[in-house]
Amino acid sequence: MLMMKNWYKNVYHKLFHLDDRLLLIIAGSVTGVFSGLASVVLRLSLESALKWLHPFQQYWWAFVFPGIGALLSSFYLEKIAREGAGHGVPEVIYSVSRYGGLLRFRSSYSRIISSLLTIGSGGSAGPEAPVVMSGSSIGSSIAKLLGLNDRQRITLVGCGTAGAIASIFNAPIAGLVFAVEVILGEWKFVNIIPIAIAAVAGTEISQAIIPEQVIFNHQMFKVGFYDILPSLCLAVVTALISVLFTKALRQTGKIAKKTPFSLWTRAIIGGCVVGIMGMFMPVVLGEGYHFIQSMISGTFAMGGFIVFLAVFAKIFATAVTLGWGGSGGIFAPCLVIGSLAGIAFHNVMSGLFPSIECASQGAYALLGMTGIISGVMQAPLTGIFLIVEITGGYETILPLIIVSSLSSTMSHYIEPASFYFKELIERGQFLRPGTDARILSDLNISEIIETDYSKVSENMVFREFIELLKNSHQHFFPVIEDNTGEYRGIIQISAIRKYALDPGMYNMIFLNQIMDTEVITASLENDLQEVLDMMDINNMDTIPVVENDWFIGMISKTRILDLYRRELIMQTSV
Amino acid sequence: MNYKLLHIFRNTPFGRETFLQSLYFCKTINAFPVAYIPKSDKFLMYFPNDAVQVDLDHSYLRSPETAKDNAQGLFNEMGIKPMFYEPKNFTASSLPDISTNFDYLCCPRSVSDLSSRIGLGHIGPKVRRIIKHATFPVLITSPVYKPWKSISVFFGGSKNALSALRAGLKISMSSGLPMSIYTLLEKKGESYFRQLIEKNGLEEPVSQFSSQWHFYKKHDFDTLLYDVPHDSLIVLGAYGHGIIKDILLGSKMEHIQSTVTNNLLITGPHCSISLR
Repeated sequence: MLMMKNWYKNVYHKLFHLDDRLLLIIAGSVTGVFSGLASVVLRLSLESALKWLHPFQQYWWAFVFPGIGALLSSFYLEKIAREGAGHGVPEVIYSVSRYGGLLRFRSSYSRIISSLLTIGSGGSAGPEAPVVMSGSSIGSSIAKLLGLNDRQRITLVGCGTAGAIASIFNAPIAGLVFAVEVILGEWKFVNIIPIAIAAVAGTEISQAIIPEQVIFNHQMFKVGFYDILPSLCLAVVTALISVLFTKALRQTGKIAKKTPFSLWTRAIIGGCVVGIMGMFMPVVLGEGYHFIQSMISGTFAMGGFIVFLAVFAKIFATAVTLGWGGSGGIFAPCLVIGSLAGIAFHNVMSGLFPSIECASQGAYALLGMTGIISGVMQAPLTGIFLIVEITGGYETILPLIIVSSLSSTMSHYIEPASFYFKELIERGQFLRPGTDARILSDLNISEIIETDYSKVSENMVFREFIELLKNSHQHFFPVIEDNTGEYRGIIQISAIRKYALDPGMYNMIFLNQIMDTEVITASLENDLQEVLDMMDINNMDTIPVVENDWFIGMISKTRILDLYRRELIMQTSV
Repeated sequence: MNYKLLHIFRNTPFGRETFLQSLYFCKTINAFPVAYIPKSDKFLMYFPNDAVQVDLDHSYLRSPETAKDNAQGLFNEMGIKPMFYEPKNFTASSLPDISTNFDYLCCPRSVSDLSSRIGLGHIGPKVRRIIKHATFPVLITSPVYKPWKSISVFFGGSKNALSALRAGLKISMSSGLPMSIYTLLEKKGESYFRQLIEKNGLEEPVSQFSSQWHFYKKHDFDTLLYDVPHDSLIVLGAYGHGIIKDILLGSKMEHIQSTVTNNLLITGPHCSISLR
């Protein structure tokens, strides 16, 4: 037994005292494998669910399927998994920003099950955000198991994200870029290598289990000089649609909460509405990958005006699915909306300028997808790499860059926060590494407080205080009540000069006569940002901290600056 | 002294008992109770290495319109200034983050299991996880309000037991109540425990604040439990067994809490207590 214990200690010691980067690479690849497995499980389950329900889709009552799916999904999330329902990706970003990537273990499976119920029954949503949530949670759990620190845990959360995205789209570069651009928000050498390896591990595991997995077949596109100007116009169109989609997603959820219906009724109503829409326009149902494939390959059979309508129908269906109780992500809907928008744009352009030799409908579907992904997520690199990787459309790289960068810039101009970030920004919780808000939030108020202050009694005679002053370097003296020790006020040396220069007053006054009782005080409950605001408004360099009438200490701007610099160096060092 | 205890308020007769217990605890050791009246049936606590989601049973959300008044009434009854906790951050709209920046936390034996909410029952898995990760001691109250007049520390020599001893000393210092130490001699003799205390610099405070040190033989654990005064606060360290050992050998903490009705103050492995 003792030998076993020693052996275990030895192995543990060797493994966890490895070089930091090596440890992260090993843990990252394990995370990538598990998050890849999670996305494979979801993909296979979705395929089975859709296959199983397919024979019933011909019946008129099939519109209830998305309703039942949404009901089961919300019931599962609320009553069984007891997740506080959210979109998923913002929760990961929030945890990375605020709590060093700590995520609940239950999130590693709960969103997979709930999104399977929603999407498998026909709800308009994508499986990507759930697998991101799952992969991130797996990364976080592995980090907890290994007892890693916050920085290492955040890297593993990124590894989980990258592995999941890489696996579901068979696109390792897109996985890496999404993890760094959207989730972590920082390009650091120490992060990139483990995340890249996790993305490769995720892709490999998915290819090993589903070798035939290719979401979209590669096509050859001929893109020329004449496509540059239309690309610019398409970027404007996709930016506007992105803003509309973002607003629709947010507003529908708010409207749903204002209705008198229960969560369950809302889920059924929302799902059934999508089901009814799907009977007339099947492109709105599910994740819609096969529709995207037909749009890219130029075999999409819908007429021009119907395609135009389908853009708005898909936006509405996704907003209703996610806002009224369903579970899933917006990645796949973005791709469907983008490809529909691209085709609609191509149709309009061909109608107006029939003589121009521009690229095929399929190429514009790709450009549309990039435009919407970049506009909604305001992540241009993710948009470019994802589309290039999943479609193999390297010939379209130049217009892709134009559409992606212009669409994300324009949508950022109209709507400064992306869909993923908006809620966090509104709550003041969007804290990217190296930013002022993040540094201030990472500084603990208790480490900033200087507690080494001598307190004085309110009944102390001024002469005694002068004697005390002779041997003290303090500029502030907290005054306390004799019996209870409660804080009464403060004596600031600069404010009592007139008494100190008049020895005749020394025996005539007590400290409670000259102390300042009006000084603004901070409490341990305040954030550092609040404390700084209080100091700025009241033009103070030092503020007393008082909690439950007890003097705790003082906070000075000098001390804040010292710790701020230390934290900034730590967060921005490679 | 500016110690704060967080109490998750339950607006029921049972909740009143546990809240009175928290108020009494705070009054005795000069700490400040802070009541959190939950608005949703779950919340998250982010500890340094884990995020613990606490799923509350529905009794915590009962009669929200009277909850604050009732809590305030109990504060007034005990002559304590009312303080309420409002969460600032939310992981999701219905999932508030509750600060872990407290010195004590009061938990009933289970927060999410209706079947054991009145009786002694088992310590719920959530309460166990909180104990495992908390940097503060967790107060598990008796089922009914039961003021305590002394402190009993269970000291088995482990790291957690040393934390428990420090917590017991600290409470004894701030309350002025007598403290007794109870030790079960399993493999080591009395001298080992005395040396351990000396090695950890606790000899002086122990001799100053501890009135008695009781030693029991290996199989006298139930006698030990019976000897502990019924009106004593039991302070103990969480026994750091893994789940397998707990299943095979049984959890000692579970045995204690299901045998005695005293208030328990439990220190977990991450609990750091300073006597300063």
